[in-house]
Amino acid sequence: MMQKHGSRIGIDVGGTFTDFVLADPRNDSLIYYKEPSTPDEPSRALIDGLKSLLEKAGISAGEVATIMHGTTIGLNAIIQRRGASIGLVVTKGYRDILEIARSRMPSSFDFHASKEQPLVARYRIVEIDARLSASGSVTRTADGAELDRVADELKALNVDAVALMLINGYTKPSVELDLAERLARKTGLAVTSAAAIWPEIREYERTLVACLNAYIQPLMHGYFAGLKKGLERDGVHAPILITASNGGSLSLASAADRPVETILSGPASGVMAAARLASAAGVTSIITFDMGGTSSDIAVVNDGAAALATRTDIGGLPLVLPVIDVSAIGAGGGSIIWVDDHGVMKVGPRSAGAVPGPVSYGRGGTEPAVTDCYLALGYIDPNGFLGGRMPLDKDAAEAALAEIGARIGLDGQEAAARAAEGALAVTTAGMATELYKTLAARGLDPATFALLPFGGAGPTHANLLAEEVGIGRIVIPPAAGTFCALGAAAADLRRDFVRSLRRPLTAESAQVLQEVFAELAAEGNAWLDREGEQAERRRIERAVDMRYAGQAYELRVALSQGCKAAAAVAEAFHVEHERIYGFRDAGTEIELGTARLAMVGETAKLSQQTIAASSGKPTPKGERRLFRKGVWLTAAVYERARLGAGDTIKGPAIIEQDDTTTIVLPGWSARTDAANNLHLERHQS
Amino acid sequence: MKLDSVTLAILGNKLAAVSEEMCLTLQRTGRTLYVKETADFACALAGLDGRFFAYPRSIGVSGFVGLECLPTIEAVGSLEPGDVILTNDPYRSVGLSTHLPDLHMIEPYFHEGRIIAYGWCFVHCSDVGGRVPSSISPVNTEIFQEGLRIPPVKLMKRGEMTPEVRLFLDANSRTPDANMGDIRAMLAALTAGRRRLEQTISQHGAEAVAASAKDLIAYAAQKAHAVLKRVPEGTYSFSDYLDDDAATRLPVRVALAATFKDGTVHLDFTGTDPQVATAMNIPSLGRPHAWLTLRILALVNTLDPTTPLNAGLLDPVRITAPEGSLVNPQEPAATGVRHAAAIRVNDVLNGALGKALPDVMPAASSGTVIPVVMAEPNGHGGRRVQVVEPMIGGTGARFGRDGVDGRDSGISNLANNPVETVEAEMGVEITTYALRPDSGGAGQWRGGCGMELTFRILTDDTNVLGRGMERLLFRPWGANGGKPGALAELIINRGQPTERRLGKIDVLTVNAGDTVTFLTPGAGGWGDPARRDVEAVLRDVTNGFVTMAGAAANYGVVIKDGAIDAKATEQRRTGLAPSNEANSQGPERERWDAVFGASTMDRINRSLVALPGAVRQRRRTEMFQSVLSCLPDDFPRSGAGDAAMQMARDRLAAAADSF
Repeated sequence: MMQKHGSRIGIDVGGTFTDFVLADPRNDSLIYYKEPSTPDEPSRALIDGLKSLLEKAGISAGEVATIMHGTTIGLNAIIQRRGASIGLVVTKGYRDILEIARSRMPSSFDFHASKEQPLVARYRIVEIDARLSASGSVTRTADGAELDRVADELKALNVDAVALMLINGYTKPSVELDLAERLARKTGLAVTSAAAIWPEIREYERTLVACLNAYIQPLMHGYFAGLKKGLERDGVHAPILITASNGGSLSLASAADRPVETILSGPASGVMAAARLASAAGVTSIITFDMGGTSSDIAVVNDGAAALATRTDIGGLPLVLPVIDVSAIGAGGGSIIWVDDHGVMKVGPRSAGAVPGPVSYGRGGTEPAVTDCYLALGYIDPNGFLGGRMPLDKDAAEAALAEIGARIGLDGQEAAARAAEGALAVTTAGMATELYKTLAARGLDPATFALLPFGGAGPTHANLLAEEVGIGRIVIPPAAGTFCALGAAAADLRRDFVRSLRRPLTAESAQVLQEVFAELAAEGNAWLDREGEQAERRRIERAVDMRYAGQAYELRVALSQGCKAAAAVAEAFHVEHERIYGFRDAGTEIELGTARLAMVGETAKLSQQTIAASSGKPTPKGERRLFRKGVWLTAAVYERARLGAGDTIKGPAIIEQDDTTTIVLPGWSARTDAANNLHLERHQS
Repeated sequence: MKLDSVTLAILGNKLAAVSEEMCLTLQRTGRTLYVKETADFACALAGLDGRFFAYPRSIGVSGFVGLECLPTIEAVGSLEPGDVILTNDPYRSVGLSTHLPDLHMIEPYFHEGRIIAYGWCFVHCSDVGGRVPSSISPVNTEIFQEGLRIPPVKLMKRGEMTPEVRLFLDANSRTPDANMGDIRAMLAALTAGRRRLEQTISQHGAEAVAASAKDLIAYAAQKAHAVLKRVPEGTYSFSDYLDDDAATRLPVRVALAATFKDGTVHLDFTGTDPQVATAMNIPSLGRPHAWLTLRILALVNTLDPTTPLNAGLLDPVRITAPEGSLVNPQEPAATGVRHAAAIRVNDVLNGALGKALPDVMPAASSGTVIPVVMAEPNGHGGRRVQVVEPMIGGTGARFGRDGVDGRDSGISNLANNPVETVEAEMGVEITTYALRPDSGGAGQWRGGCGMELTFRILTDDTNVLGRGMERLLFRPWGANGGKPGALAELIINRGQPTERRLGKIDVLTVNAGDTVTFLTPGAGGWGDPARRDVEAVLRDVTNGFVTMAGAAANYGVVIKDGAIDAKATEQRRTGLAPSNEANSQGPERERWDAVFGASTMDRINRSLVALPGAVRQRRRTEMFQSVLSCLPDDFPRSGAGDAAMQMARDRLAAAADSF
């Protein structure tokens, strides 16, 4: 059934467009396609678009080897609290676990702030007289009568699904899993065991993992089933993989079991694509810069590896599963420009969205947005937006910006352009400060990184941002607008496994650690065996959280294959501690925290597309006035599709393509490489 | 303002980010619990006047935005590049530090040979010596018992650590390595701030950066004035009590008259009790100190969240804090647990503001933060000491909104400990960590529920500490006819034959098998409970925040078979006692005020504060002994007859006249 060398298709469902990338290994080609999204029924755009894509590529449904697909359905359901009606069963005495959470308020300075809305209302939380001790012995067992009572209460609640959490359940996941199965049998409901799905210490966070899973599971089940059926109807029987928040992917069956692992897959795919593309281009440390309509995101890729976070915020709720660490840094193209009562100019946080959109969209927007500034400054061509499919109203944008200018004391001929340049300066400074903070939290210096922009506005704004933060190099991928779909098409299979140990590091516990790793690896291998045959090669990554006894925080230490004995594990920790804090406490006892194992099934690499070598000096298709530092410059305008490998363009210049426009500022130049990436570099001065 | 709109927006953003980047550097490289988990630290940029023009918004302690660095800077004389000042002494830093564990550092930032700004940071370090581990204890009577006092000194001279200062520091802490780790992190933060400020100057010029420091403060001041202009002019008085001063059973009074006029406010704490002989004094040095103004800053920020955080916020605030009082003690008063008093000061500010802005301000929050600590024998003759949970209550209700259950960010916004990590590290089984039904004050909008923590001890001869327990006597008050929240309680072996109900404890010894139950107070309700939407009451009962009995007794809502019994409810509601200001505070406070009336106490405290320190305490104790001896032992928990009350009032009047 498996067609190892057939076409792989990556699909990213966004708010406006569903993007497709088809990789055909026979002729090393990549084919892109965009279909308007159908938010009311996302699988429709996917199925319709796929048909058009196959037509465009000239291949039959049977020739498709794999479909890699990312979706935000789960994420949206959580943020909008539109998930299933679920019940929660917890150890007696902990009915308020979601109300209390970690007991913090979102702001200590705003006494009108309120706490997040709990995922499960209190009346749908049932206590059960069962728990374990911290050392893993069962101290309270729910007997027959207690189990019947809980089952009856659950049935009376009329819920779609149930989550279960026992205090200290993480110490022996099988105990809780067994209870979950018994409850499922008695109630006929799906019961997610927190300890089975994520056996990490910290009851609130683990409960949330189980609740989130149960909350989106019915919805995702429905979606996956509909998708599979729809594709099969069209003759596509290829395995479907769902991209995951950790940058990897899961089979449809795994994703249906553990949908919570897929909720942040969209941005993760983009970052993974950037990491792979940059490595192939010989750039190993990048900051990705995804600028879309409402916001901009960055992620750090250091030495080829995208940074993972184990604490992320999902609509006010903390998620502890490892996810590609993406940080919002502020404005997007739709962010609104305004002047406050004290005459200070502001950008965002309100966004004009797609409707009414920026003033220049002509859909009724009256407040200028960042995109209107690009227009007023000559950055983008009013007739070239979305490949010319959507003409923009430049005059309206300028009029709205002139009004902003008047409010901050700018008048005369260039008031609109000066207001626009000011607004972009405010926007860029805001992004730069957030970027600095994100890197400072990790002890990294942005100047040692290259910027890799994607998304509709990324390449337009990248040079401004690089200039502001002192980055000297920018790499712009060929299809910046459909980048997440490309990332999906190339995703490896990956699942993360954990087990919390919480004990001093001794010869004995080092042995236990090895046993735990062996168990997790067996679990991982069994999982990969079930996922199908996409994986060409298996790889295991091991790490363990450790600390000096009495310390308040843990360090995650990667362990190599041979690092097994207590002394070796201790040394790995000392070295990491020394690297980050500058000293080691060789005399202090070390404590083991959570053991972590990632099982990766590497899929076939997508081959690089290449473009023809340069035919000499590139020819501009025209020129355009560009406003910069208070004066109009003349910039040559190039068409990206006509550039050859090795072509070099000096700024100021504008490079246009269907889905975005690249600005090259004075003092910078752009060079095309054989893989059709644009490399922007600052001249040595 | 001098700068144009765009430059001000850009520099405002960048400079605030410099302070946040300093914080992130400190947090990343810091070592101790206070840095990593509770974020008890902050960093900022100060202008040549020593006031902060850039302060972090999203990380660290937000309340210290009004601190002043100038007295500390002036204390050390001339400064050179690479110098860093260190201090922790409230008196010698003139209120920059407010208790000794807070280490404060200031580095002058030079540009072309002249100081252009100062970097500042502070960390609550683990231990600076003194009588007890971690240095703070409520029952310390003098600052000399609280650890090493560090007057403003140069920790660093031209980039090198002063060896003598280091020797003093190391010799005077139980945890010198951890302290030095935090000190290194602070130095790293100051360096990060210096570098980023240099970069900002190279981008925008020194003149623009210096001008922005002034303009940003002016901008925040404008906004603060604009918000305070919305407060109806007038004087609003309010008083509240701490249950006691931790050493005696005498309640401690905090009184305030807040006068709003044309966008400014004068906070007059005259009438507040004299300084106490324990560690709850707030060393404000008579300045509009963070601990005395927090709620005003929060008001500005709540009503205009776009206000930049900087010293300009305090521009409209004037303060009178009588010297020798709880809120401006004289040296050598102990100050280690000044936050306990600060919580009540916050309540008093909230209460006074509530009279001016009844529809904006909430009722009292639970008003207590109790780090429940266990010290269990470690089997080697010592004890393992660890926080079980930092216990808080809920927030007060306000017009249109119920209070928040089980959360309270009023004074600190600490995260709790996962029960599983506690159980993994200590011999304890936590059997209940939950909300406390019916504890939220009844009202048209309900106060937030307090919490219950019950744990079973697994080791004999274990000590339990509940420092910071408050509101065991005087309830978190309701507002606008709302009812007060339930009182705090401490119960040993609840529901067992050996059950004991205890009051405030300092250290309690328990044995294996004993259970300890902390019940934190509920927060105050807002508005007449009889006017609460019956559906909201039903929802609370369905969810278990209110019991059926509570619904009937406090709201007059009768529920049968999960539905409202409309007829019985109507009957019951008409029979509810009317709401008024007196019963918003609870019966204990009502009884107390019946003897210790506001105007008499104002007069007495004015006289007491004027007396010399030693005499002050004696006279106050004598007065209370004389008055309280007419009343039952557990007054005001229980009432007294009319005759006794009258005799008590007469004695108080006589005492007042004698001053």
